[in-house]
Amino acid sequence: MPRYLVERTFPDGLQIPLTEEGANVCRTVVATNTDDLVTWIHSYVTEDKSQSYCIYDAPSPEAIRRAARRNNLPVDKIIEVQVLDPYFYR
Amino acid sequence: MAADLLERDEFLLALNQSLLQATEEHGRIVLVSGDAGIGKTTLVERFVERFVERRPTSVRMLWGACEALFTPRPLGPLYDIAQQAQAPLRVTLEGTSNRATLFAAVLTELTQAPTILVVEDIHWADEATLDLIKYLARRIHQMPTLLILTYRDDDLSRDHPLRLVLGDLPARDVTRLRLRPLSEAAVEALAEQVDRPGADLYRATGGNPFFLTEALAWDSAGVPASISDAVLAQVSRRSPAAQRLLELVSIVPNKIEWWLVEAIGAEDGATLDECLDSGILHLDGEAVGFRHELARQAVESALSPARRRALHAAVVSALLEHGVEQASLARLAHHAAQAQDSALTLRFAPTAAKQASDRGAHREAAEQYRTALRFADNLELNQRAELLEGLAHECFLTGQMSGAIQAGEDALAIWQTLHIPLRVGHNLCWLSRIYWYVGRKAEADHYVDAAVGLLQTLPSDKELAWAYSYRAMFAMLAEEAADAQVWGSRALELAEQLGDDEIVIHALNTRGMARLQAGDKHGQDEVNQSLRLALEHGFEEHAGRAYSNLSSYFVRFRDYANAYDCTSAGTAYCVDRDLDIYTYQMISWRALAALEEGKWASASEDAATVLGAPRVPPINRIQALVTLSWIRVRRGDPDADVLLDEARDLALATGELQRIAPVMAARAEAAWLHGDRARCVAEARIGFDLARAHSNPWALGQLSFWLWRVAALTQPLSGAITPYALQITGDWRAAADAWEQIGCPYEQALALLDGDEPAQRVALTILERLGALPAAEIARRQLRARGARGLPRGPRPTTQANPRGLTPRQLEILLLLAEGLRNSEIADRLSTTPKTVDHHVSAVLAKLEARSRAEAVRLAYELGVLPHSATH
Repeated sequence: MPRYLVERTFPDGLQIPLTEEGANVCRTVVATNTDDLVTWIHSYVTEDKSQSYCIYDAPSPEAIRRAARRNNLPVDKIIEVQVLDPYFYR
Repeated sequence: MAADLLERDEFLLALNQSLLQATEEHGRIVLVSGDAGIGKTTLVERFVERFVERRPTSVRMLWGACEALFTPRPLGPLYDIAQQAQAPLRVTLEGTSNRATLFAAVLTELTQAPTILVVEDIHWADEATLDLIKYLARRIHQMPTLLILTYRDDDLSRDHPLRLVLGDLPARDVTRLRLRPLSEAAVEALAEQVDRPGADLYRATGGNPFFLTEALAWDSAGVPASISDAVLAQVSRRSPAAQRLLELVSIVPNKIEWWLVEAIGAEDGATLDECLDSGILHLDGEAVGFRHELARQAVESALSPARRRALHAAVVSALLEHGVEQASLARLAHHAAQAQDSALTLRFAPTAAKQASDRGAHREAAEQYRTALRFADNLELNQRAELLEGLAHECFLTGQMSGAIQAGEDALAIWQTLHIPLRVGHNLCWLSRIYWYVGRKAEADHYVDAAVGLLQTLPSDKELAWAYSYRAMFAMLAEEAADAQVWGSRALELAEQLGDDEIVIHALNTRGMARLQAGDKHGQDEVNQSLRLALEHGFEEHAGRAYSNLSSYFVRFRDYANAYDCTSAGTAYCVDRDLDIYTYQMISWRALAALEEGKWASASEDAATVLGAPRVPPINRIQALVTLSWIRVRRGDPDADVLLDEARDLALATGELQRIAPVMAARAEAAWLHGDRARCVAEARIGFDLARAHSNPWALGQLSFWLWRVAALTQPLSGAITPYALQITGDWRAAADAWEQIGCPYEQALALLDGDEPAQRVALTILERLGALPAAEIARRQLRARGARGLPRGPRPTTQANPRGLTPRQLEILLLLAEGLRNSEIADRLSTTPKTVDHHVSAVLAKLEARSRAEAVRLAYELGVLPHSATH
């Protein structure tokens, strides 16, 4: 399955607290994703929480957009990427 | 506790949960899957014992199973089910071979009372049974039914037909239970009970419950190395008579009727008791079978080839003595072929093929023809050619295009050797159509010309009329309108002389389309007349073709309102009648229209549906490939190039403007968005040269536009005025207005880009609303270059807050409302009923406190419930 980098913008900041409530938000997103065979691997969020860069496995860019729509998440840009491990020689 | 019941409680509870829902709310589907021997059947049996039989209100049980026949009997499980159901279903099954009637009878039966319908081993199901499952699954909501389907998932190949069916099931109605092997702890607990070393048992059996049961019965030292070893060791301990019985039972998949056993050999009741007592066989009414399929396979595969043949021969002759039943043709053919009996195989396989074909099990029909042909070495040539024609036709219907061509060519060669020109002409004509479907225009033209040439030398008859009509059709599809009208008139004249309605309908359709292409609006009357006649005389395929052709015309000439009406009526008609080819053609055209109208989400759903569907001929994949890749290009999404390359290769081989123009326009646009002027010219030029030789102003306009955009063309070409032409002459405002009128926002924005600063700002807004990132970037660059200030920095969608607490389903509905879809369209898209959609819409309006759909959409944007970029 291809891997994608998804850029998202959150003008009011992405607020997911490290509490049970925040865990629930993530669990809901993950569960909703499964309908489209989309897997959220992890994300990087900027200091001001206005931008996120999310790594996903998904069958197609459309699947990512559909899952985002169901989760009510914004999508700016989708880029297909591959893993480069700088320590591959170990 | 027995091995096959450990660690299964959660599955039993899930089944019971589904049963409650099925009887109290609406029907449900449960998929029970896992490796062979994992305990699928046992799970369902225990569920029935523990929950179903103890219910205060009764639920009816219906069981059917698919057989491991090389070529399964069409609708095999339905015959089992009908035995347990009420009389009307049995009568229908015996009385008709019409699928629609049969399926409707099953539906009626199931709506009578709460029912658990189990269909086992659907990985072996024939095509008609899979269709029945799909049919029921789509309607499961209306029935108080729990549909339990079991299958093995350990050796399902990527292209196994079952995968398509499973992918097609309505996700919200399905519970998936995947049975896992037992844990090491469970195996050890079990081993302790019988005082055996648990670690060895777990290592050998991998926790497979069936293997475990066999291994626990193993009385030599250590543990058996394989299931086969375990089973065969058990068999070898039986008496010689019992071993003979087991061998016989093993060559009959599923179960063998007791009268058949008696008719074949000297086996008596005592032998049977011995096998039943040891637990290797079990009784099922008047039939007997292995308790487990893995045991059957172990015994069968240990038979010598000679013994196996002899047993199959004995079965087939006993079946014959008993009298041939309609339902058992596939069975007779199976055993005859396994017995290597060519005379009997040739007697039954072709008839079984015809029966399978009638029931819509075309994959099985093709297999039966193949079986017959394996034994056809000594057959008369003409009989062989007829088998090949049958095979070719069934291959075509199941999308096995290279098989269809091979068989068709072989049949053609035989008729040529036999000097039977009428059959030669017929086969040439048929092959030309197949070559067209696979997108090989050169061959299609060559074969149809040869057919016309040959048949013209014979007395005029319907084969010649067909050849004329096909000749006309290929010209029409290539938009050679004048040529198509000449040949169409010839076909029509001859068909009317012969009084052949079907050819009249076909030729009228073609000629009408050709007239439309030439700009003659009366052409539409001819196509409509063809449609009316087709509906009147029940020529369903031709009705489908008329709907599909008209849809393509409306989309290509950008008449979206008519295109919508035509595809709605057409897909409704074709879906009901399984006319998949035309259904997918119309969905492809609908997708392209939605793309042009800026409804990208629904366009990409439609395109993906077509690309994921089975048996879509290559020629019909092109439009869907273009649409999906075009959307990716316009969004700036990855993975467009591969699809665009595939689309170009397929399209160029068809030689048809209607396929080539959109592909080359999409490729030119992609190059332009990348700033690659040279490639934009090269791509557009290919389509442009072809378009210039035709009269379609839209195709020509679109390709001229891209040449002009990168300054490779300065003047619009003569011909009908399109918004493209307006823009090329420098009237961007008129072009933008025209596009707005027609309903193409992206094209409208590209026209506005040529305007002043306010116009360019509007263009930027439209492009951002569409989510057209690369074009929006170009707009922003142009605005900055002219010194514009205060530009939005790109789409600023909302946070994930959902202030009005809409459910995901309601959000989905809201999105489709925002696309301007009607309730019936939304229902189509979400595979539900308009009534349910109505429900949701009301809920959405209530939560948003809106009075109308339009207000709901507006409020949704304002409140940030809908992010701006996510609408497309």
